[in-house]
Amino acid sequence: MKKVIVHEQGLGEKVVRHARAIGVSMKESVYPLTATVFYPRERKKMPPNLRGYLMFEIEKCISCWECAFICPANAIQMKEAPNRRYYPTVDYGKCIFCHFCVDSCSSGALYSTKIHDVAYRDMDEMLTLTEEMIEQPEIIREDKRSVEYVIERDDMHLKRRREQDTLFVEPTPPVEIPMVSQCIDRASCIGCRVCEQVCEHGAISSIMDTARNVLRMKIDTERCTGCGLCVKECSMQILRLVRKTR
Amino acid sequence: MEEVINALMAAIMSNQVNIPLLQPLFRLMVQIPGAGFMVSFILWKPFFAALISPGFATLGILLLFFPWVERKLCGRIQWRVGPHEIVWWLGGIIQLLADSLRFLFQEVIVHKDAQRPYFLQFPFLTFIPTLLPLLFIPAGSIVAIQTPYAIQIILALVCLFPLFIIGLGWASNSRFAFIGTVREAFMYFAYEVAFIVAVLAMVILYGTSDLVEIGAHQAGWVWGICINPVAAVVFFIGAAMATARLPFEIADAEQELAAGPHVEYSGIGFGLIYVICYEKAYILSGLMTVLFLGGGSGPQIGVLGELSGLIWFLLKTFIVMVTLFVLRVLYPRYRLDQALNIGWSSLLSLSLFALALSIAITAVAGAGAVAGAVGGGIV
Amino acid sequence: MVEIKTAEGEKDRNISILKTGVLSPLKRWGVKWSLWPCHFVTSCCGVELAHAFACGFDGERLGTLNMGISRQANFIIVEGTITRKMARALRIVWEQMPDPKFVEVIGACGERGGLFWNSYNITRPSDIVPVDFFVPGCPVTPEGLLRGVRAVQHKIEGLDRTTIKFKRVKLPSEPEPGQGKENMVPSSPKVFAPTPAIKVDIRRDVEWAFGAELVKRLESELEGLYERITITDINRIAIKTLPEHLTELAGRLKSGLGVDHVKNVNVIEVPHERKYIVEYMVSGYREDLKPVIINIFTEVGRKPDGEPEQEVPSIARLWASADYSEREMHDFFGIRFAGNEWMGRNFILAPELHTPLRKDFKLDEERYVLEGETPYAPSIKPPTELELPLPPGLLEDAEANEELVALVGPHHTGSGHLRWILRMKGDIIVDVIPDPGYVHRTMEKLAENRLYIQNIPLFERANISDPINMHLGYVRTIEKALGIEVPERASYIRTIMAELSRIGAFFYDSGIFSLFLGHSTGFMYVWAIREMILEAMVRATGSRCTPSFIIPGGIRRDISREVLELIDNFTSAIHRRLRKFEDIFIYNPVFVARAKDVGVLTKEEAIRCGIVGPFLRASGVEYDVRKVEPYEVYDDLDWDITTGDAGDCLGRYMGRYEEIKESLRIVKQAVDTLKSLPRGEIISKELLGEYKAASEDIKGHLFHVYGNLVLPRGEWTTVTEAARGTLLYSIVSDGESNVPYRVRIITPSWLNLRGIVEATKGERVADFWAIYGSFGYFPPEADR
Repeated sequence: MKKVIVHEQGLGEKVVRHARAIGVSMKESVYPLTATVFYPRERKKMPPNLRGYLMFEIEKCISCWECAFICPANAIQMKEAPNRRYYPTVDYGKCIFCHFCVDSCSSGALYSTKIHDVAYRDMDEMLTLTEEMIEQPEIIREDKRSVEYVIERDDMHLKRRREQDTLFVEPTPPVEIPMVSQCIDRASCIGCRVCEQVCEHGAISSIMDTARNVLRMKIDTERCTGCGLCVKECSMQILRLVRKTR
Repeated sequence: MEEVINALMAAIMSNQVNIPLLQPLFRLMVQIPGAGFMVSFILWKPFFAALISPGFATLGILLLFFPWVERKLCGRIQWRVGPHEIVWWLGGIIQLLADSLRFLFQEVIVHKDAQRPYFLQFPFLTFIPTLLPLLFIPAGSIVAIQTPYAIQIILALVCLFPLFIIGLGWASNSRFAFIGTVREAFMYFAYEVAFIVAVLAMVILYGTSDLVEIGAHQAGWVWGICINPVAAVVFFIGAAMATARLPFEIADAEQELAAGPHVEYSGIGFGLIYVICYEKAYILSGLMTVLFLGGGSGPQIGVLGELSGLIWFLLKTFIVMVTLFVLRVLYPRYRLDQALNIGWSSLLSLSLFALALSIAITAVAGAGAVAGAVGGGIV
Repeated sequence: MVEIKTAEGEKDRNISILKTGVLSPLKRWGVKWSLWPCHFVTSCCGVELAHAFACGFDGERLGTLNMGISRQANFIIVEGTITRKMARALRIVWEQMPDPKFVEVIGACGERGGLFWNSYNITRPSDIVPVDFFVPGCPVTPEGLLRGVRAVQHKIEGLDRTTIKFKRVKLPSEPEPGQGKENMVPSSPKVFAPTPAIKVDIRRDVEWAFGAELVKRLESELEGLYERITITDINRIAIKTLPEHLTELAGRLKSGLGVDHVKNVNVIEVPHERKYIVEYMVSGYREDLKPVIINIFTEVGRKPDGEPEQEVPSIARLWASADYSEREMHDFFGIRFAGNEWMGRNFILAPELHTPLRKDFKLDEERYVLEGETPYAPSIKPPTELELPLPPGLLEDAEANEELVALVGPHHTGSGHLRWILRMKGDIIVDVIPDPGYVHRTMEKLAENRLYIQNIPLFERANISDPINMHLGYVRTIEKALGIEVPERASYIRTIMAELSRIGAFFYDSGIFSLFLGHSTGFMYVWAIREMILEAMVRATGSRCTPSFIIPGGIRRDISREVLELIDNFTSAIHRRLRKFEDIFIYNPVFVARAKDVGVLTKEEAIRCGIVGPFLRASGVEYDVRKVEPYEVYDDLDWDITTGDAGDCLGRYMGRYEEIKESLRIVKQAVDTLKSLPRGEIISKELLGEYKAASEDIKGHLFHVYGNLVLPRGEWTTVTEAARGTLLYSIVSDGESNVPYRVRIITPSWLNLRGIVEATKGERVADFWAIYGSFGYFPPEADR
């Protein structure tokens, strides 16, 4: 245990302390440890993992809705595209940049940029539609230099470079864990066709078994992306996601 | 009629600021009718001192650039930059121009509880005690009004400062302004006595209260601060208290009282109050320069003639001002009772000690000739 | 009564004023370079605002000098959430400012609500004042804030534009072959049990010898006063009693057992069982009682309309630390605590928001499909009056006693986001009445409506100057309930991050403290140090202030060797700047004079008012959760508790300062150990199930793993040592829903509030700011 005892400063100590404070200010006025980034004219270099504005690769998206489900701020809402698939839109008026969506995106369709400084005139402009997230956006930049914070053993230094830092980084793909939907208890199926309706990839189809007059569901493991929507919606909770085996 | 004009001209011509460097130019100008009169009128000492330097014009330029210097320097000490982007290749030197234009064109709000006429008048009235002392402060040999009562007049005017601040606070009629006003009144008594005694010590030392003569006394390198450093310390602390610099920025403590007496002022009203604090600092720094730092003394630059003394004076005043203002990066603020304690005990006893010191020196060396005698002794 | 509403045409009035007159170019140029923001801290984005105006980015470069006073400013930066209570202040401040004036809103909360979009207590600033620019982010980066300032400058110049341009591409129009003809919108991922079974004292067989002994003692001590005593976990005991026995039971615990403070007052409503459960979590600072939390609970009937059938006796007279929490529970649930002298409203002023934490008060549900072109946000009516009421009879009483009443805040350079009602007699403070709730963002209610995993960012927002400890506490509670062991590597990283966060929080408070005393250099110097910490944070997690990095079972991803090296360097690099800071601030004689012997709380007083953390230790109580109930790897590292005897402002401050040096030691040791540990698992495989392959990086599988997390039935309580003291989370789960039934969060600032009040009484007016600063009070943390 450490006990902190603060004693009264005597006159001698007071004088010394005054002198040291004055000394620091004199020293800093001559050779200051300035740590300022001249922002509009130069930009601080952010690490590649910075959680900034989102970009979207439409080819990779499996429309699993997980980005919308996990979003703690309900900033991601799905919008139906002309091809009748649902893709995410982001409302930056709600987005908190937690990137739970990026971490939930098993296909790696959502990824981040290093854009984080944007001002909007209007709240309605803050909604970014799917079609706007695909190409790299342009932001107003006044910076000519980039500054990097270098923390060494003695102190922090600012390293300036005469270059414009790129704001777009190559996305790192997530670990691929192929999953597939599987019915574990066919006998309990009531044939409500919810799984078929919710599947956006046409992987589930129903066949009328005329002999017994029941609907039989069939899962096409090739088409199934393992998005898990059917598992979630199944009214009898008899679907499970399992590892895809080849 | 002509006689009067001639007499006037003679009076003006006999009391000109002497600048050898520009003499040929002036001689040329004198040939031109009208222009000649203008030039000689401008160079007429009282006019020059009051309106150009160290008076009005200098003060105006100072007000435009000094806050920038202060903000830049404080920024530097605080590891940042201060105003910069406005013209970034000059380090944002015209920042204050933008600020003052903004104040000028901004709405002036008089809230409904304020004492309207006084609320509007006081920012202007405050200029009386802050501008008038300028007439009596000599820069070298340039002075508007030379009088043996210069110090007394300046002190009387300086003592008026707090009255107007109290007026501001009273007219504002707001709680924080009220508390700030009361604090200002308390602070006023805390420094005033010690401050006056410190000046008195110097008057005794020099044997005169004519500031031009006092300046002349310190012509060598033996400045008042060397003879009576205690008085200088008391004067400096008193000046910091009078201009409400940290650690004595107690009346308008922004974090406590939201700027105290100034809390309700907006637009140009606040702009005026904002500059008044710099003016006060200018006057007290000028006074300190004359009393303790040798006034306009310094290596004579021949070609500049009397301007040489002026430049030395301005330079020293500037340094004192910077020191006063840089205190704000150095110290937090004292509590009111602590400041009063300092004022009434340490500062007052120090000032009395300074007074005793002066008397002792004078008694030993003989009145009046002290500076010269001691100076001669050392040199 | 004034209606708060942005009128038509208000939005561009500022520009039209600037455009008129012959001198228009001069006017515009002057205003452009002289936008003085009035210091109106409304929420946690204020932390980044401080960074933008401190030495890291120095907003003063652009001519924007932060000015405390509305009359002299011409620019408001609305920093995030505007609650219904704060909305009134916002409008008042805006009205006070002279024309032309500009408004910039930063942070998602100030736009469509951000994380708090369906909270019952927020409003949108754009409904209250005309807003020129919105900057997204949570919090915004300093660059974002300055971008907003630049945008306003451009607007004044005549270039009114959004600073981002998206390129639209055509979306594929052909459906994939074989795609279903009908498209069904999936339902919400949230599962609510229709009739949740709530029980807060579920017996668990644990090996806890002292517990059995303690239960025996309790049984004999409390003979006839209790219904049952249960050991619910190690160090957790629940005692069920009847409301009429509560006071006597508490009295016996106090006198017989030495229980001396209340950690938590909680109410759980169970509508279908027609009851309220009222809980008091008490503990003692006696050596053997320190880790024990005794939960005294009682049940009160609930009438069909939701009103409680009877009053609960207040125990605030026994333990003053229960006082404010009782008031809070009255505010939220409408339960009256008989004997608590003040049962008014604190957090919620709107009459329509009666008892919002009751289950029949429903929040808007998420919508997952975008309909039309505007994202879903519930419609919120801004408050209709501007008045912020004072406690009844206060002014008359003060006048009778010849006292002056001054209202400090919520818009005041030295108030933070709450209002202090100071009653002064001369220069002496007679009483100070805190008026919290200006940043009450209804976290407890929101948490009941979100998935367990979604609550991580939510609770982190309670205090973004100490973000890691905030969500670490919550995650630890989940882990405790699920019984998960965290991999060693993750545990080390968590410890490092938590300590960095603690250091950051100290410097935050230190900066605010020095600013309160008028010392701007002290503020700037620590902000340079904080900039280093945030740099380490952003490199490790990708976010400066809100990492949301710790998740149940581990952390989101491993941190690289370079970042580790950077953190290692930081522990030594900090000293150069720290020495200068010491010289100019800590040992500055003026600071010492201001802080020494001011606001003294003796050990007994400190315990009585229930203050926690370093402030309690400064009064001489040796209690640190990291030692008492060690978590993560604190037990394996070599460090000391810091205590002190003085209990004054300087003691509190220096105690924390020494603690930071210990923290640096912890970080250094942990980094050294971590360097030798092999890279590998950082999320517990136990939890990952099918997704074990993601144990090194959760990327891609967060929702799969955590979306359907369900906690076992019961009440789970943990305490964590956050930067400002004991942070308590108590989660009640029904065992079926994947959302918590009730989450109670007690933050250190909330507990310390009473300490500030007690320490201030009888001191001089200027001392109030010294005391307030020394307690490191962070209003969003207190208001939750």
